[in-house]
Amino acid sequence: MAGYLVLESGEVFQGNWRGGEPKAGEVVFNTSHSGYEEIATDPSYHNQIMVMTTSQLGNYGVDESFWESKKLHITGFVALEIQSDAFSGWKGRLDQFQIPSMDQVDTRSLVLTLREKGTVWGALVEESDEESARKAAKTLIVEKKQEDLDWAYATTCSDAYVIKGEVDSGPRVAVMDFGCKTNILRELQKRCKEVKVFPSRATADQIKEYDPQGILLSNGPGNPEDVKQAQETIRNLLGWRTIFGICMGHQLLCLSMGGKTFRLKFGHRGSNHPIKDDLLKTIYITSQNHGYAVESGSLPEHVEETHFNLNDNTLAGINSDKNKCFSVQFHPESHPGPRESELLFDHFIKRVL
Amino acid sequence: MPRKSGINKVLILGSGPIQIGQACEFDYSGTQACKALMNAGLEVILVNSNPATIMTDPELASRVYIEPLKVEFVQKILEKEKPDAIIPTLGGQTALNLGLELESSGVLDRLGIKMLGANQDTIRKAEDREEFRKILDKIGAKYPSSEMVKTYEQGVSVGKQFGFPIILRPNYTLGGGGGGIAYSAEEYEQKLVQALHESPTSEVLVEESILGWKEYELEVMRDCEGTFVVICSIENIDPCGVHTGDSITVAPQQTLSDPEYQLMRLEAKQIIEEVGVETGGANVQFAVNPKNGERVVIEMNPRVSRSSALASKATGFPIAKIAALLAIGYTLDEIKNDITGTTPSCYEPALDYVVTKIPRFAFEKFQGSKDLLSTQMKSVGEVMSIGRTFKESFMKALLSMEGDPRGFKPVLLDESKIVYPNSQRMHHLFQAIRQGHSLDSLYRKTFIDMWFLNQFQEMVNVESELVNQGGTLSKELLLKAKRTGFSDAWIATLQGVFQKEVREFRRENDLRPRFFQVDTCAGEFQSDTPYFYSTYWSLPEPLKSDSNTVILLGSGPNRIGQGIEFDYSCVRSVRKLKDLGFRVVMVNSNPETVSTDYDTSDELFFEPLTEEHVGEILHFLQPKGFISQVGGQTPILLAPSLIKAGFKMLGSSMEAMDLAEDRAQFIDICRQLDFKIPKSGMASDLSEAQEIIKSVPFPILCRPSYVLGGRRMEIVENESELESYFKRHHEYISSSHPCLIDQFLERALEVDIDLVRGPNWSVVGGIIEHIEAAGVHSGDSMGVLPPQRLKDATSVKIEEMAKRLADKMNILGFLNLQLAVKDDEVFMIEANPRSSRSVPFIAKAGGVPLVDLGVMGIMGAKAEDVKPEAYNWKDLKSVCVKGVVFPFKKFAESDSLLGPEMKSTGESMGRADSYGEALLKALVSSQVNLPSEGRVFLSLRDKDKENLLPQIELLNKMGYSLMGTLGTAEFLIQKGIECEAVKKVAEGRPNCVDRIRSGDVGFVINTTSGREAVEASFSIRRSCIDFSVPCITESDAAIEVISALNSNGKSGYSVAPL
Repeated sequence: MAGYLVLESGEVFQGNWRGGEPKAGEVVFNTSHSGYEEIATDPSYHNQIMVMTTSQLGNYGVDESFWESKKLHITGFVALEIQSDAFSGWKGRLDQFQIPSMDQVDTRSLVLTLREKGTVWGALVEESDEESARKAAKTLIVEKKQEDLDWAYATTCSDAYVIKGEVDSGPRVAVMDFGCKTNILRELQKRCKEVKVFPSRATADQIKEYDPQGILLSNGPGNPEDVKQAQETIRNLLGWRTIFGICMGHQLLCLSMGGKTFRLKFGHRGSNHPIKDDLLKTIYITSQNHGYAVESGSLPEHVEETHFNLNDNTLAGINSDKNKCFSVQFHPESHPGPRESELLFDHFIKRVL
Repeated sequence: MPRKSGINKVLILGSGPIQIGQACEFDYSGTQACKALMNAGLEVILVNSNPATIMTDPELASRVYIEPLKVEFVQKILEKEKPDAIIPTLGGQTALNLGLELESSGVLDRLGIKMLGANQDTIRKAEDREEFRKILDKIGAKYPSSEMVKTYEQGVSVGKQFGFPIILRPNYTLGGGGGGIAYSAEEYEQKLVQALHESPTSEVLVEESILGWKEYELEVMRDCEGTFVVICSIENIDPCGVHTGDSITVAPQQTLSDPEYQLMRLEAKQIIEEVGVETGGANVQFAVNPKNGERVVIEMNPRVSRSSALASKATGFPIAKIAALLAIGYTLDEIKNDITGTTPSCYEPALDYVVTKIPRFAFEKFQGSKDLLSTQMKSVGEVMSIGRTFKESFMKALLSMEGDPRGFKPVLLDESKIVYPNSQRMHHLFQAIRQGHSLDSLYRKTFIDMWFLNQFQEMVNVESELVNQGGTLSKELLLKAKRTGFSDAWIATLQGVFQKEVREFRRENDLRPRFFQVDTCAGEFQSDTPYFYSTYWSLPEPLKSDSNTVILLGSGPNRIGQGIEFDYSCVRSVRKLKDLGFRVVMVNSNPETVSTDYDTSDELFFEPLTEEHVGEILHFLQPKGFISQVGGQTPILLAPSLIKAGFKMLGSSMEAMDLAEDRAQFIDICRQLDFKIPKSGMASDLSEAQEIIKSVPFPILCRPSYVLGGRRMEIVENESELESYFKRHHEYISSSHPCLIDQFLERALEVDIDLVRGPNWSVVGGIIEHIEAAGVHSGDSMGVLPPQRLKDATSVKIEEMAKRLADKMNILGFLNLQLAVKDDEVFMIEANPRSSRSVPFIAKAGGVPLVDLGVMGIMGAKAEDVKPEAYNWKDLKSVCVKGVVFPFKKFAESDSLLGPEMKSTGESMGRADSYGEALLKALVSSQVNLPSEGRVFLSLRDKDKENLLPQIELLNKMGYSLMGTLGTAEFLIQKGIECEAVKKVAEGRPNCVDRIRSGDVGFVINTTSGREAVEASFSIRRSCIDFSVPCITESDAAIEVISALNSNGKSGYSVAPL
């Protein structure tokens, strides 16, 4: 028996099956050198098979304090080498959540394929030969594709809840959870008096009832166009209180203002993306994880395009004074990745108060 | 693009001669910077005293000054050139310190010259440890407790306070010079004196020990807008306690979690901002306590450093080039990433491979020095390798060391070699793992992170599998072994089969490497960079075949005797081959070099220079052929096996090379040409030797055969010494390993000549006359071009001999000869059928583009196209003297006496209208600072006394006061010269060494021979090294130096561009 990663586009990559249950998902790659546990627990990676470009994984073990949610969200883990059970707890962690994992894979060739073909569906299976691997994978992919497309709904909290903040003089902030990373909440906690987290399908009225001073739209997985109800909710909140959108939150905010989103060929996933920030007049390196982006020029005139990814010049952030909102495509909460852009949280609080 | 206004002409300071801690990485950075600034349309003036560099090639800058890197000289250049700015951040510590001195001297202000990259304030904040600590306090970063010690007494009390072990770090020194770890009060007090002396400001930071902490280095860049990027994180396998230049390191870092790494990154950013590095590259070193993750800052360098070269090669990010552009006002987002060609330079490289650096040492060259590593850097070179995993990368690095072709050296386990860091530690560590020592116990002995130990264990496990499956090769296991990085030779040894069988089995099963691209982005963006490494973690690609491709083999890690000079030849060769229309592929393993810059050649393969790895590249590329004449001895040694494997060597044939390399054939060919050679013979015991001396007159040179680098080579003057020699070395001499006995041409004049030849032409590049007499290794002797003592007729004769020999050997390409002249008779000593160490010096001094012509010779160009008559090295404007730099200071207990074994690390060039001035400039550039007044101490062997008498009289006349050992003083007084007599060490105190140590002596002339006398006078030379007192140990050199002092007098120096 061997492990196989079968891509819907036809390519098959063989490797050493390390455990878990066969699963299907979108196959994406991430170029971060460290932070495998943060990545695996980030809800934005829901339904995605993660290929790490870094060659050896699990080197520094595991630590629950690194978690970005309450479980592992990835749907598969592929690397050149995953450290042995005896040495590192990482393989055990993947097993604990039945995440299929495979190593001894020619990940560079795999990544070059993904770069050429774009993000594709695929499945990780353990089979005796390639033929049966293809068959098993096909079934899994077909099944998986029948699931509800609103992935934010699949990862959001079931009920609203309140977190106490650390700053008495700070604001009260509502968070719309589309699959929110824990560190967004930690960053808010450090700056707020109170944070209330709402499920992704909460209504504007429910949020208005809490009467927050600011609203944060969180990150989350999948295609923003499929997160329909939230667009409506956000539209009803525009101009009411200051809104700060991150990643999926940014895309939904833009959609709600009439902007368009599109699917990037293979996304941006890594800890080394340069961003030119015209809002704060600086350039910094950011953590990114997104498969969709907002189309430049698609937004109404009162919305300024403020952030750009310097690698491919895609739009990475906007600001509208009229609608009292701003948002970014990348992750100021990092985890993993560089922490320089966390000043955006300070900017948010400043605008809220 | 918003370039700084008013900056149209810049002067770049180079780093001077190669020395330990400052090697050719600064040639790499300077060359990159020159190219970038010239491309940006600036006028670039370059100053460097090292002629072996590529950056001093006249084509690279608007004007090149080969002048000493001292205020006095650079000031004159500044006055002459009036640049708008100087850049002191690209030439290592030498340039940075010089920049500071220039600023303090007021010359920059006076001429309105800006300092780019770093200003005085920035340099002080980063380099002055007390200032630096204030900054760390301000941003809340931690550092090891320490105290700045300015006096011995203060130091002693600080020592008591901190306890032992304790670390000493002198202020403003290079490569941790003069520092170290002291384990006891006694050792501490001894080192303290030394450290206080080493620091130019007499300040030593005495630091609490963080031995055993994990050590990291971040290579960072910042532009004038404050944009900050980390180019590379480097993790040292050897924990704190070993100088980072001597540590085995990997990139990117492997064992820190993301939060640990990000906090380090953020701290680095804060430090750079606070220190005020406005633009350019810098590095910050950190230590992390493995017990609790506590992090401390060790130091930062506000300049491009040794590790920046490594980081550039490891990631593909050209740090020096970008630093130069940032310095003139560009910002990171404005500069394109060369490698992808589409994205900006404002990003952090992502690696999908692991890079390992292993330093190369030369302890065997310095008898008496111990192979122990500490906070003072001792390595002379390094290799880098790239593999998909740490294991593959580490093994490839071991193989790149050009030691045992198996990578591993079988060792008898010595646990002390595990506990105390040394150059052989990894071999013993592996042996211990093989013998079943637990990783826990090894961790406690080494504090090497468990992850690395575990990787080693996994490698040993693969070894065991190979041993267990001995005799039967399986595809699966072989693939596993290759993916672990094991060489065919090692696999064969473990399986008990022939290497050939492994190779053939591998080929039958198509187990061949894939060549992957280094693209800075882990495959995320399309990239066309021609920069490759091999790995077995993928399937091989279809073979290429291009009859226009030429493969150039580089020279591997720097070592004593094979260094930057060969990189110069490689890089020039690449350029010429490109001019001739060939597609050039460079293969090399040395990250410090210009040849491994990805934009030097058309394609770069960063690979070990072994038969296996080079063979695979040749197989994959199917080129026209390979060139092995320009990378020193490394490619020469590889050539036979590559030819045997069916690849074509370009230029001189293997047979021609053998004529020079094989002693018997060489003697034969000299006889045919009627050349005199020193008389010689071979003896397997004393009685045979006694027979030989009947025809080979004393003095003779004795050496056992099959020993490398002139070890146990001695000059024997009489029969009793001969008996003693055989008595002491009998275990190395036998009928199968006879002792080689050569006539020693005492006091003969030695010369080097480099020549290039094509099918029907040859050109002599020049003749260097050695300043020291025969007996000193040509790499260690000073030299002068044009010759000063050689008669014209002899010079002509030597050129004729060289040409005749080249014709006879049918050389196509380079030929280097060493000859000795005694009583107008010329003796042929040695021939090297390749580009030699002296080529860059000769090319720059004589003005003949020797490498270009050599390449044309290799490629078979005809006289009609080459026009050899156009080149005449005798059309000289100036006299050039080669100076030498030695690393004795780094090797306590080593002797500075020169002999047949090469010990120098680098060279300088002094250029002037007169011989005297050129000689003094060369000395200044080699850090030999002869005072123009004061006391000269003389200790001469009997046969030199008469010889040197006129010069000593001259010294006296010039106003120096003389001091001598009893014998020397007595002799001088008898001759009517005033001389103070002092005791030798054995004669009681105060003695001559006390006087040297107390700073009472300006320079020393100490000539000696015979084992006992050498041992007796050792402490004289050693104290000179320790206290930086110039010490001349050879009488001919003393004569020339004194003449130069006299002729140049106090008239000062002039400066001129090439």
